[in-house]
Amino acid sequence: MTIKDLAKRVFLVEILKGMALTLRMIFTHAVTRQYPEEKRPPFPGFRGLHALVRKENGEAKCVGCGLCAAICPSKCISVYTSEGSDHNKVVDRYEIEVLRCVYCAFCVEACPFGAVVLTDHYEYSDYSRAAFDMDKEKLLANWDKFMAGPKGEEYFKRFWRPLSEDYATPEDQPVFRGGAGAPKALPGKETVEVQGGLSDAA
Amino acid sequence: MITVTINGKQIKLEKPVSILEAAKMTGIKIPTLCHHKSLEAYGGCRLCLVEIEKMPRLQASCTQYVTDGMVVWTETGRVVEARKAMLEFLLINHALDCPYCDKAGECDLQDLVMKYGPAAGRFTEGKRKHPESYDDPIIVRNMERCISCTRCVRMCSKVQGASAISMVNRTSKTFVEPFSGGRYNCEYCGNCINVCPVGAIMSRLHKHTYRPWFIEKTVDTVCSFCGVGCSVTAQIRGNSIVRIIPESEKGLNRGLLCNRGRFGYDYISNSGRLKSPMIRKNGSLQETTWSEAFMYIAQKIKEIKEKNGGAAIAGVASGRCTNEDNYVFQKFMRLVVGSNNIDSIAGFAYAPARKFFEKIFGQGVTANPIQGISRSDGIFVIGGDPTAINPVLGLQIRAASQKDIPVATVGYAPGLKGFAANRLIPKPSTEAALLAALLTEMLKRKPLPAEKTPFEEIIGKIQPVSLNEAESACGIASGEISACVDSLSGMTNPALVIGRDIIQRSEGQANLLLLAALAQALNGRIYLSSELPNEQGLIDMGCLPDMLPGGRPVAVDSFRKRYGEFFNAEVPSAQGLSLMEMVEGAHSGNIKALYVMGENIAFNIPDNKFVKDALSRLELLVVQDIFTTETTRFAHVVLPAASWAEREGSYTNLEGRMQHLKKAIDSVAGLEDWKIIAEVSKVLGVDMNYRDSRDILAEIAKVSPLHKGVTYEDMDSGECMWPYKGEPLRHDLNIVGIDMPDMKALLKKPEKDKVYIGVDKVLFHSASLSRNSFALNSIYSEPHAKIGKNLAAKLSVASGDHISISTGAGAIELAAVIDSDMPDNIVLVPNNFEGRGAFRVMGWKMNAAFKAPALDGMEAVLKKLERVSAEVSE
Ligand code: SF4
Ligand code: SF4
Ligand code: SF4
Ligand code: SF4
Ligand code: SF4
Ligand code: FES
Repeated sequence: MTIKDLAKRVFLVEILKGMALTLRMIFTHAVTRQYPEEKRPPFPGFRGLHALVRKENGEAKCVGCGLCAAICPSKCISVYTSEGSDHNKVVDRYEIEVLRCVYCAFCVEACPFGAVVLTDHYEYSDYSRAAFDMDKEKLLANWDKFMAGPKGEEYFKRFWRPLSEDYATPEDQPVFRGGAGAPKALPGKETVEVQGGLSDAA
Repeated sequence: MITVTINGKQIKLEKPVSILEAAKMTGIKIPTLCHHKSLEAYGGCRLCLVEIEKMPRLQASCTQYVTDGMVVWTETGRVVEARKAMLEFLLINHALDCPYCDKAGECDLQDLVMKYGPAAGRFTEGKRKHPESYDDPIIVRNMERCISCTRCVRMCSKVQGASAISMVNRTSKTFVEPFSGGRYNCEYCGNCINVCPVGAIMSRLHKHTYRPWFIEKTVDTVCSFCGVGCSVTAQIRGNSIVRIIPESEKGLNRGLLCNRGRFGYDYISNSGRLKSPMIRKNGSLQETTWSEAFMYIAQKIKEIKEKNGGAAIAGVASGRCTNEDNYVFQKFMRLVVGSNNIDSIAGFAYAPARKFFEKIFGQGVTANPIQGISRSDGIFVIGGDPTAINPVLGLQIRAASQKDIPVATVGYAPGLKGFAANRLIPKPSTEAALLAALLTEMLKRKPLPAEKTPFEEIIGKIQPVSLNEAESACGIASGEISACVDSLSGMTNPALVIGRDIIQRSEGQANLLLLAALAQALNGRIYLSSELPNEQGLIDMGCLPDMLPGGRPVAVDSFRKRYGEFFNAEVPSAQGLSLMEMVEGAHSGNIKALYVMGENIAFNIPDNKFVKDALSRLELLVVQDIFTTETTRFAHVVLPAASWAEREGSYTNLEGRMQHLKKAIDSVAGLEDWKIIAEVSKVLGVDMNYRDSRDILAEIAKVSPLHKGVTYEDMDSGECMWPYKGEPLRHDLNIVGIDMPDMKALLKKPEKDKVYIGVDKVLFHSASLSRNSFALNSIYSEPHAKIGKNLAAKLSVASGDHISISTGAGAIELAAVIDSDMPDNIVLVPNNFEGRGAFRVMGWKMNAAFKAPALDGMEAVLKKLERVSAEVSE
């Protein structure tokens, strides 16, 4: 131990430093949020409660390909499909056990059609387990409540560009264009204006 | 010795194989699309291109054979570029609708594009259009996805032998279609679905419901429909079977299935399944609890046994139940009820034939591997169409024929038309004359040795029949018969495939004797067609009136004593009644109680009315089944059983292979058959103490000398072949109790103007079970009566016209189908559909030797109907 260190200890330099900070902070604004009275706007692209995208005609956009269920690391998505009256594919059941979700958003990324999203809604605590078993109706209602309108459009433009947009479709049959129509830079720091966060707190 | 170097690895080969195979041996995987291991190499897709040193161009490794000193590289830049280009070409016209396509996730094209494929397509032209086809009942075709690999066509023509589809048109308009367009109208085996690498030919039943990753578990089990015992894999999601598929490496079927095995399983989820035990109260069946049902049965059995003795009680076992079920059933009947009256439908044809051949040649003579059929040097088929009864066995015959192995068929076998070099179709019930003539001629060419075995002595005594005598009896030109003999005499170890039609005859024993003699003369191997999955097993388990487990005769004191000692009980010594005798006994009042396990005797025994009459006279009829059947309607107690997918056990197929039937899903309502019986037995005071089927198998392994030490593990390893590790019964060379057929009587001609009715075995159905399958009904929903063209002309009936078929027992009305190959004076009616089965109007005579019904000579009067009457009255 050097003399300098010893002196620091004897004169409680570190403690005084800390006290000085405390003293300084007394004269600044409080950063504590009074949740739940005071709610903080989530970041765009926040991964909260799930929703199924509703198309303009009122139906779910999901075609039941099951890719979200395939990728889901916690295996909490179940998709049940069947043949419809004109041989189309019908999604009979689309269920997410929200309590098992790890909010990785792999499902959103995997969906070729941009049919499933994680909304920025995060306040959904409940007393019953059943309330967290989302079925198709609940998930569509989530969309209406939390994502409908320009917010939803924005979401896909900025974060989760669905793969289906990379298909050119001459005569309504798809050819993969390998992201030719995709934005040059993938969503990242340069293109995304950050709102909220620390700067907001200052 | 050939030395090849693949990717720097050296490999030495005995004989030349394709580069693809050689690479596989060294563990190098070359991508393929048109190649399939059960099909011939085709070389069409060029995905398997490889670079060979000193060869200027890339070569297709599936068709290029290795030569000594060859140096091959499978993943060079050139190769990868070429593969990428090939895939880009394939995608020009491929509808990229993976999210909707049911193949996604197990699609070879998808996988290859992921690995090699171009990231983007460069073609701007539109893709070809072709509407999805729903013409077929269980197949959906989406030819926009077809990549013209021809796997399906090769499967259908070379392996299935149905030749139903081909590539039509050229260039980008090349599609797979039936020759004349429209419906496939094929055997609907679904083997084309299995080999299609993309989603171009798909199962309609699974449309839009399937994704490989939805499968939660898979269970390897055995098909529930016929005695071949194909290995199947059940894919399960939740508590239901999503799909049944064959696996190319497993079982004797090696990736092949028939329509029943692949699609017919859906009966297990039919909403009509029995859900609760029922007891007849005030004349109608009413739901009750299990314990009340057990009490009721036990009480009744006790009463009847005390009053009339055990011999007044009889039991019917089932070839659809497992070995374990059947074993427990016969144990219950013998030791608890005290009766040897145990038999099943197998007692009509399969069991007597097997017993007969075993008497002559020794136990296990019919236990021959099915795969040996395509490797034999000749095949002789008689008594039914194997391609309908045992379809996957039938494929072996077709495969043999494609390898130019001579096939001879006797009788009407439409599935082998075009595969048999010699097709002899005798007049109804005149096969004996034909067989005798064949034998006589054979013996002229291959005389019996001077030193004769006891059986050869017997053969020597069979009266010869000349070609001309046979010709006049069975209506086949003597030239044709001798041509068949020519072909037969060239065979050194042929397969004889024998169906039940030839056995269920008054002269059944004579037929079998002649066939045995022919087998001896030809050094042939015998295969007995078996319509149910476990006919062989139920016999081995002792569900015969005269046999104990392991095929030990009840009549032999030492066997009976040994069996009884095992349980410290007495086995009744009196020989039991056969199934037909039980029915007669019920009719006459000697049998008071009948316990039926998994059989629909009121439908599957000829002369339904007589059987129903007999059943209605019983004091107690207990039926265990999974559906309401014609039989349950007469029952006093009905007990819901677990279906094939809901139980564990074993089946023994017609080649004597024991296979492990595994529980795939949980039973919704029913109990395993053995469990029900064990419960009844418990109430009767004999606790059988089985926890599960393993306990039963362990007991079988101790009790049956034939099944010493068998376990499910042996079965899983696929090596549980006859005679297992047990002791077959020693063969007594002095054959006794064989009656010499009276040839003169057998040579009598059938009366010309009479029409006889026979049973048609339909490929798409299986006794009275398959009527509960949506899939099979969608292929074949209505029974037809088949008649020959001369008979049709005589009645002026065209295909599709309705005819009435009446006999002394009643009449049925069916649409007629004309098949020009049928003999003139016979009408064939299937026995699968309620109220319209052949056995409704067919009578029978007792075959005294087999104690089984003989179905020949059942006359019928056919009439054309002008107007179709919807309701058929009883
Ligand atoms: S966010 Fe991740 S864990 Fe949650 S449902 Fe989607 S894929 Fe599954
Ligand atoms: S990936 Fe998208 S379209 Fe496919 S099932 Fe999931 S939500 Fe539906
Ligand atoms: S289902 Fe079978 S018979 Fe029909 S086309 Fe396919 S392979 Fe041929
Ligand atoms: S239908 Fe399937 S198997 Fe047949 S040629 Fe087309 S891609 Fe190949
Ligand atoms: S041949 Fe027999 S065992 Fe094989 S799939 Fe068909 S019915 Fe099942
Ligand atoms: S696999 Fe060799 S050419 Fe298709």
